[in-house]
Amino acid sequence: MTTLHSNSSTRLAATRTWLLAALVCSVPVIWGQGFALRFGAEILLIGTAVMSLNLLIGVGGLVSLGHGAVFGCAAYAAAVAAQAWGGNVVLVLAVGVLAGMAVAGLMALLTLRSTGLFFLVLTLVAGQMAWEVVFRWREVTGGADGLRGFPSLEAFGIRLDTPAALYLVTCLIAGLAWWVLRSFARAPVGLALQGMRDQPLRMRALGYSLGNLRVRAFLVSGAVAGAAGALFPFVNQYIGPNTVHWSMSATLVIMSVLGGIHMLLGGFAGAAVYLLAQTQLSSYTDRWQLAIGLLFVATVMFAPNGLLRLGRRGRP
Amino acid sequence: MAYTLVQILNALSFSVLLLLTGLGLSLVLSLMNFVNLTHGSFYLLGSYIGIQWLASGAPWWLAFPVAFVLTGAVGWLLDRFPFGRFYARPHLMQVLLTYGLSVVFADLMRWGFGAETVSPVLPEVLSGVVFILDFPFPVYRLFLIASGAAIALVLWVLIDRTLWGAAIRACVVDRGIVETLGIDTRKLLTAGLVLAAALGGLGGALGAGMLSAYPGLDEEVLLLALLTVVVGGLGSFAGTVISALLLGFATTFGRMWAPEFANFLTLGIMALILIVRPTGLLGQPARQV
Repeated sequence: MTTLHSNSSTRLAATRTWLLAALVCSVPVIWGQGFALRFGAEILLIGTAVMSLNLLIGVGGLVSLGHGAVFGCAAYAAAVAAQAWGGNVVLVLAVGVLAGMAVAGLMALLTLRSTGLFFLVLTLVAGQMAWEVVFRWREVTGGADGLRGFPSLEAFGIRLDTPAALYLVTCLIAGLAWWVLRSFARAPVGLALQGMRDQPLRMRALGYSLGNLRVRAFLVSGAVAGAAGALFPFVNQYIGPNTVHWSMSATLVIMSVLGGIHMLLGGFAGAAVYLLAQTQLSSYTDRWQLAIGLLFVATVMFAPNGLLRLGRRGRP
Repeated sequence: MAYTLVQILNALSFSVLLLLTGLGLSLVLSLMNFVNLTHGSFYLLGSYIGIQWLASGAPWWLAFPVAFVLTGAVGWLLDRFPFGRFYARPHLMQVLLTYGLSVVFADLMRWGFGAETVSPVLPEVLSGVVFILDFPFPVYRLFLIASGAAIALVLWVLIDRTLWGAAIRACVVDRGIVETLGIDTRKLLTAGLVLAAALGGLGGALGAGMLSAYPGLDEEVLLLALLTVVVGGLGSFAGTVISALLLGFATTFGRMWAPEFANFLTLGIMALILIVRPTGLLGQPARQV
């Protein structure tokens, strides 16, 4: 991210990104079936959550195993809000973003002094505590059954209940999320975060506050994951406690590594590979977890920069 | 009173199980600086081996050494490839590699041993109950407490009181210096990993009589073991013992007093310890260079 590009290659990359984005938005809407569109929207939403995790892992070196809780709690908050006040998309997103920021911010405050493995375990414990609350608080969250039956989303009087409309909304959110995260990572605060990852002692000597940076990174990441989580129940038409469980967090980390932790867009690639493998392989064989596991191990061993950077050399 | 005593014994047997799995994990984590998330798989493999052995009709007491040796052999294979290449890598890469492998192993074991919950056929000596102040208590749990405590003691002597243990501890601090003393550190690390894997398998074989064996148990055990080791503090034997006891008692008595909130409370206590002491109960603050 810090490597200096010449102007023309930057412009080329930008053009490519825009073309890709246009393709992603248009193709499925024109040709896609209802199921394919829902699946595409799911990939985009989960991919957005993975992208927000990439900010923590790739830029900040903060390997959080509690990101599923951020995503899941925001999804629950949005689902409950929609059931109470209707499916205004602005309201749903606002609730999701706030919930995501609240959970992520809390997690950042809890882990303020922890590093490395201790950070990993503490985020895991915090996430599992969130799961316990979601799982036990049956009156609100439906407990093990989860929630279903949400009012359809609507924006400014237009009902967004067709798969194509939902898909376009998720495209918009995913693009916006990418822009927010990229801006953060490229801004001085993002560069400081990166410095904190590589040389914490020197950065502290330069007067940066580790805690301050960490909380900010978590808030941005939580806001993005929250926005993605807010739409997830409407795309999935169901939200269950598994979304908050630590295995969800681990899945997000797997996707993040599959796509490449140092590339924000890798989040979408990782989510797509994982979810495609899950749905496609599971219709052929019961051993899809084995296949995913092997693919993941192979990625870690032979392509530590992710599948998108396969063959390119770089820092692992 | 008697009921509380039985609960204390229950908590103690759970603590011993946590200690057994935690010690194997702690050995690779704190002494070799390698995060091994396949430890839960070693545990579950040991459980399945033990159960199969006990069902086969061979002398029952051999089940535990067999589980120890076989999982140790698996550990040796993994050390040859791919763990050996990751000992010097950052924690993140180790976490990713071993987590991926644990997913693979979990599915392989579901394939090989089925998805049902299986329990061992305990030999007559170990099945049945003893009466403690008129309350029945399974004999097996007493056996578990005694053997677990014995194994922990042996391990403590091995790591803390022998030259071999000193060498493996020195490896973590400065591997280069240990090499210059003429010790092959690669072999030492291999031995450490094999011992840890074997301990995991032994813990599994012993624990099967209490927790049975089912797909998913590997993750549960891994989480508990990781929690035990991390909360206790890396590199601290006493810390691991204390946190195993804490976790065991908090879980058991939490379930007794407030079954709905037991897990939340236990996790909360563990989180609180990690917040107040970011390097664990008895862990040394990490030196920053």
